[in-house]
Amino acid sequence: MGEALTVSERTGLGIATVMARRGVDAAAIGAVLGCALPGGPGWRNGGDLSAIGTGPGTWLVMTETGSGDFAEDLTQRFRGLASVTDQSSAYAVFRLSGHDARTLLQRGVSIDLHPAAFAPGSAATSMISHIGVIFWQMDDAPTYEVAVFRSLAGSFRHWLDSVAATL
Amino acid sequence: MSRLPHGGLIDRSRPLNFRFDGETFAGFEGDTLASALLANDVKLVGRSFKYHRPRGILTAGSEEPNALVTLRSGARAEPNTRATMVQLFEGLEAQSQNRWPNLKLDLMAVNQLAGPMFAAGFYYKTFMWPRPFWEKVYEPVIRRAAGLGELSGLPDPDTYDHDHAFCDLLVIGAGPAGLSAALTVGRAGLRVILAEDDWELGGRLLADRQQVDGLAGEIWAERARQELSSLPNVKVLTRTAVFGIYDGREYAAIERLADHLPSPAEGQPRQRLWKIVAKRAILATGAIERPIVFGGNDRPGVMQAGAVRTYVNRFAAMPGRRAVLFTSSDSGWQTALDLQAVGIEVAVVVDPRSSAPTVASDVQRAGAQVFLDAHVRKASGVPVSKVEIMRSDGRVVKLSADLVAISGGWNPAIGLGSNLGHRPKWCDERGCFLLDQTPPGLTAAGAAAGRFTLAEALADGAAKAVEAASDLGTTCTAPDFAVSEESDAGAAYWSAPAPRGKAFVDFQNDVTDKDVALAAREGFVSIEHMKRYTTLGMATDQGKSGQLNGHALLAQQIGKSIAETGTILSRAPYQPVAIGALAGHQRGENFRPVRQTASHDWAAENGAAFANVGQWKRAQWYARQGETHWRESVDREVTMTRSGVGICDVSTLGKIDVQGPDAGVLLDRLYINTFSTLNVGKARYGVMLREDGMVMDDGTVTHFAEDSFYVTTTTANAAPVMQHIDFARQVLWPDLDVQATSVTEQWATWSVAGPKSRELLQAAFPDLDLSNDSFPFMAAAKFVWQGNPARIFRVSFSGELAFEVSVPALKGQDLLAHLLASGEPFDAIPYGTEALGVMRIEKGHPAGNELNGQTTAADLGLARMMSKKKDYIGRVMAARPGLVDEARPRLVGLRPLDASEVLRAGAHLLPLGAAPVAVNDQGYVTSAAWSPTLGHSIALALLSHGAERHGETVLVHDPVRGGDIEAAVCDPVFLDPEGERMRG
Amino acid sequence: MRLPCPYCGNRDAAEFVYRGDAAPRRPDGEAGMFDYVYLRDNRAGEMRELWYHAQGCRNWIVVTRDTVTHEIHGSELARDNKR
Repeated sequence: MGEALTVSERTGLGIATVMARRGVDAAAIGAVLGCALPGGPGWRNGGDLSAIGTGPGTWLVMTETGSGDFAEDLTQRFRGLASVTDQSSAYAVFRLSGHDARTLLQRGVSIDLHPAAFAPGSAATSMISHIGVIFWQMDDAPTYEVAVFRSLAGSFRHWLDSVAATL
Repeated sequence: MSRLPHGGLIDRSRPLNFRFDGETFAGFEGDTLASALLANDVKLVGRSFKYHRPRGILTAGSEEPNALVTLRSGARAEPNTRATMVQLFEGLEAQSQNRWPNLKLDLMAVNQLAGPMFAAGFYYKTFMWPRPFWEKVYEPVIRRAAGLGELSGLPDPDTYDHDHAFCDLLVIGAGPAGLSAALTVGRAGLRVILAEDDWELGGRLLADRQQVDGLAGEIWAERARQELSSLPNVKVLTRTAVFGIYDGREYAAIERLADHLPSPAEGQPRQRLWKIVAKRAILATGAIERPIVFGGNDRPGVMQAGAVRTYVNRFAAMPGRRAVLFTSSDSGWQTALDLQAVGIEVAVVVDPRSSAPTVASDVQRAGAQVFLDAHVRKASGVPVSKVEIMRSDGRVVKLSADLVAISGGWNPAIGLGSNLGHRPKWCDERGCFLLDQTPPGLTAAGAAAGRFTLAEALADGAAKAVEAASDLGTTCTAPDFAVSEESDAGAAYWSAPAPRGKAFVDFQNDVTDKDVALAAREGFVSIEHMKRYTTLGMATDQGKSGQLNGHALLAQQIGKSIAETGTILSRAPYQPVAIGALAGHQRGENFRPVRQTASHDWAAENGAAFANVGQWKRAQWYARQGETHWRESVDREVTMTRSGVGICDVSTLGKIDVQGPDAGVLLDRLYINTFSTLNVGKARYGVMLREDGMVMDDGTVTHFAEDSFYVTTTTANAAPVMQHIDFARQVLWPDLDVQATSVTEQWATWSVAGPKSRELLQAAFPDLDLSNDSFPFMAAAKFVWQGNPARIFRVSFSGELAFEVSVPALKGQDLLAHLLASGEPFDAIPYGTEALGVMRIEKGHPAGNELNGQTTAADLGLARMMSKKKDYIGRVMAARPGLVDEARPRLVGLRPLDASEVLRAGAHLLPLGAAPVAVNDQGYVTSAAWSPTLGHSIALALLSHGAERHGETVLVHDPVRGGDIEAAVCDPVFLDPEGERMRG
Repeated sequence: MRLPCPYCGNRDAAEFVYRGDAAPRRPDGEAGMFDYVYLRDNRAGEMRELWYHAQGCRNWIVVTRDTVTHEIHGSELARDNKR
């Protein structure tokens, strides 16, 4: 068994909102992306891209090898299929991992995180301590990532640190 | 000492010291404060709310109305804590309440001599006149005389946590029914949460000498606990009170993590608030024994019969040495047997019924007299020492006793079940109110469902659990239990006939039988009216113990059955909950989330004073060394920007990407002006209305690509506008192919304003051509800065030559540093929202104060923007006669005739010489500022017929802050009305 | 209180913004606009209502709710709402 809880902030990510044009389905978007897209709220990992379903026909697409023109590149590739918006700076993404991560996250979200209800590949858009969050589970450690609007990262850290102290 | 030499569930090897009213006592691990007090012969525990009557311990549970103490001291002092719920710990400190100078000699007890002063409804009738006396005399006097514990007034030093849980079955209460339900469903593998208020599981199994499966009750309960703890699908929460049921099968519970410790462990929360979503729930909260109404029924030493069993059997504490039992139920007789079993004398068992249960012979054999068809008329002494009994033959027997154990039957503890409005119904067969209908997914089981015997409760818990599992598609089998026999026979008995002296129906709020009778006489015959008139059941205990007696008395008074009068509904919280627990980690500076822009830390280091704008922290001004008043800073920022160049953080403005083939069409329907025709590379000011015709918001829209627009909103309206756009594209016109998403957080944006702004930016971005020809007013372009996407807009809020530059928020601080460095030769300064505000007032731009939800585009002088060639939200309603009336207040400027006078926002406008009455009101000042540019005070105002009244003088009337000022009405644009500066 | 979002699933009601009756349809012209803006039925019983999942998928949804019991019978995306 690894650490009870590790918290880190991910940096250097390229992030974009991809919203399908009218009548374009997830498969068509996924084909261009080279990464299968979740039909509902979910997280899929395909090579150096991952995608999180955040609404009907809407995904947050992320890359670790993000650079300034990640969104611009997607815009070109999705011409006529989807609207793309650069969000690389908009979110601070925290990674919570270890066997206390579920307990910690459950203190914040009113969504069932029991393994039978929320497993690797699951994702949700919700709120923690009145702060909007998008989070997804990556593995059974469990490892979660939580994206919050960057301006709220300080308040989110306060919640995270307060609760982590009680574990 | 009144501690039994052996028996009970206390740990005699672990003595604990505690203090009550400054005196040191000893108890044991496993005691409650109440049991430890009784074991130390302390029977007088508090004084009552109104009459300051001496009070003791009535119950052994959460329904306790009398034994309320202030627990702990200093900042951790918690008033009105039920001694029956406090698990004893080493060093515990408690104080009695509502007494002066001390508990035994309470001078305020004269209140009871002034009886009528505190009778129901007295306030309403008497303290009407003279009116000022109410606030100044009566209320302070009454407040001093009545009341319970006091708050410390200090900040709560503890922290509180929140948690969420989900389960198939929530079992509320771990008595026999709850344990049997949890075992039944837990064994079948369903997700179960078992919540128990006590620190031990078992409920009455801990208190009664009953056997299950050949084991003593407490042993069986311990085995059940072990089995449940071993099941990974079962979560057992002890010291956890479920206090509310909400829509959507949601339950709130409070877990007392550290209340049994001297103080919480370092960094650990004191309590945790749980929100539990349960597909099914079983209410296994047991039953609360009814007290009986008779004279002096509140005397210390009068105690529920079941509580007496608990103190003797569970805590080995003797509540008295010579007892009178007054019971209309067979369970009360069990108390007599239990007392006799430990050697406590039972003088008499008084039963108002005419026949005795079969155990009567055992009770008599052990030395007790039995009076049937009899009742206790009065108890007296502090603590109780004398009891008057009226026998069936009419003879009054007076005898000495120091314990009166009472049982008028049992009330199922169903308060939670009525939280959502399901009114309990009287059941004649079981002699109690039961839940007739229940919140979705919830069932009562065991004593809470009127199944009072142990055998029935165990079987009912299991049966209800099988039902719940079956609803969820899981088959499980109910276990069988071998249980000792007992009788639950009894008569619903509320009150002795004609009680002598004060006889209480609500102990905590000091409501007597006479108050109920008075309410009935005065026509408060509905149960809910009577409750409010007498305050019956309105104390922190919600009348759990006694209020039903009051309902029965009301029924008697008005000649109805209790089934007809009914009972009240219970509201959450079912038990008192600390405010801190509801707040959780959101307190102090984290009371609500805070949003910080990319340059927040830099701003803080550079003298910024921050204002809260929604959740955002915005720099209001940047104080320089030597500046002692905010106006100095703001005046300097305005002057230096207007004469040179200033930089302002405008990152908090709402920003929305609107994309797709129909983006232009959607924008045309959202705004009063047209955007589909806007050239790519251009920005345009826009105004949107609500559907009722009032202005909703304003901002700019930039056309970046054929199918891509970039919309800005005011800071305050960012979320409402996003919602509005989503409403338009999802609900109103779902056929449009248009996508929208917020990019507020993506871009950090700086406004660079002032005559030298172009020079500064040209120095900062030498690759851009920002000349007026290449980049005219309202031009916009994307560019790349240090490898990052960037945007530049030629828009102006200040009225100066101005630009806005955006980069990704992560690069925001870098850009600011770059701009400031590039601006050094030009004396560039940062300016805050106050200077921004002054400059926009000088330019007559409407902002939040003018976009107040009551203004039309025409009111703000923007009527010419309203397109006549297309439909848009609000178009039809904006044309209503009332909204196009020329008499409506219209935006104007004001300047004081005497340049030394100061205009203030909020002041009202009157014609000169008119009386300051509402009928003469012609408008009001919306925004005011000192204009360092003009050297006098200026204001924007909404004035009836304003557009036609430029040059007129009006009175600016300010009755609140004093002083009337004469001001000239003028064009709202004070500076550069032709806009030469910003277009230059 | 919980509300079912057709995309996100059952969620805390605090995530949603309430708007009201989903029945009124925006007229294309002047006729009926006043009623659309101001007139609402005050229904006791089953009602179809617009809610916005502001802290979730940002979709407007139509929730069928009993205004007397608060029981919720279902929800759908407003854009799919066949009226």
